[in-house]
Amino acid sequence: MATSTMPAVGDQLPAFSTRITRETLVRYAGASGDFNPIHFSAYHAERLGLPGVIAHGMLTLATALRAVTDWAEDPARVINCFTRFTKPVLVPDDDDGAELTVTGKITKLVDDIATVQLDVRCGEDKVLGMATAEVRVG
Amino acid sequence: MIDESHAGRSYPPTEPYQVTAVKIAEFAAAIGDHNPAYGGDAPIAPPTFAAVIAGRAWEALWDDEELGLQLRRIVHGDQRISFRRPLRAGDTVTATLTIDKVRTRGAVDMINSSVLLATVDGEEVGTASSTFLHNREED
Repeated sequence: MATSTMPAVGDQLPAFSTRITRETLVRYAGASGDFNPIHFSAYHAERLGLPGVIAHGMLTLATALRAVTDWAEDPARVINCFTRFTKPVLVPDDDDGAELTVTGKITKLVDDIATVQLDVRCGEDKVLGMATAEVRVG
Repeated sequence: MIDESHAGRSYPPTEPYQVTAVKIAEFAAAIGDHNPAYGGDAPIAPPTFAAVIAGRAWEALWDDEELGLQLRRIVHGDQRISFRRPLRAGDTVTATLTIDKVRTRGAVDMINSSVLLATVDGEEVGTASSTFLHNREED
């Protein structure tokens, strides 16, 4: 966050892209303790009607929030976050995996709480719905 | 099988979870986040670390035989996390889950749950509220 100026409604957060591979999923499963097999086993993912192994929703949310915490600098400023997991992020078993692109903008500023609306895409697909974070900016 | 009558059911707090600097560093690396606040002498945890602890309470849902849920048939629908303050290395935290609402549409159970995170000293740290979609096994 620019240290001297208060943010304003309409401000854009710096955008970034990142890549999620099967290795990322294994690492996240171990670190988070979420061992749902749809995140590492094509067999289980397909049995559930998914086209293949998908990323953990919480990993996608964690990635999205990085746009907010990088901007806010101090992650302790984030007091609330929400998302719908609208579209699964398919992670193919190859070198490239899936690329997520995160953008965000300030949609509300009440007292010293800014609401950031996040847009997270995998290719053309919007993968999170109504993704927002509330950040103390005072 | 889970149904509307299970709304309001609460489970005992999870065993106390000790938030450590090593675990925070491991988690931050797993989400590819190198914010300096997650390292150093007094690290705080990334916001979604709350799900690591809440996840221990979610297990009560999968383990409750009366509900008939299977983890491999669960998809995460939505998630909210609200904080009074960030989780910090040194915190010892329990997670207490309540089933808020259950709806069934066809073969899909929609389960709203909330998990209160509190230190063993009784300080409320935050709440993780989730919707889980459970795809019932076809007969």
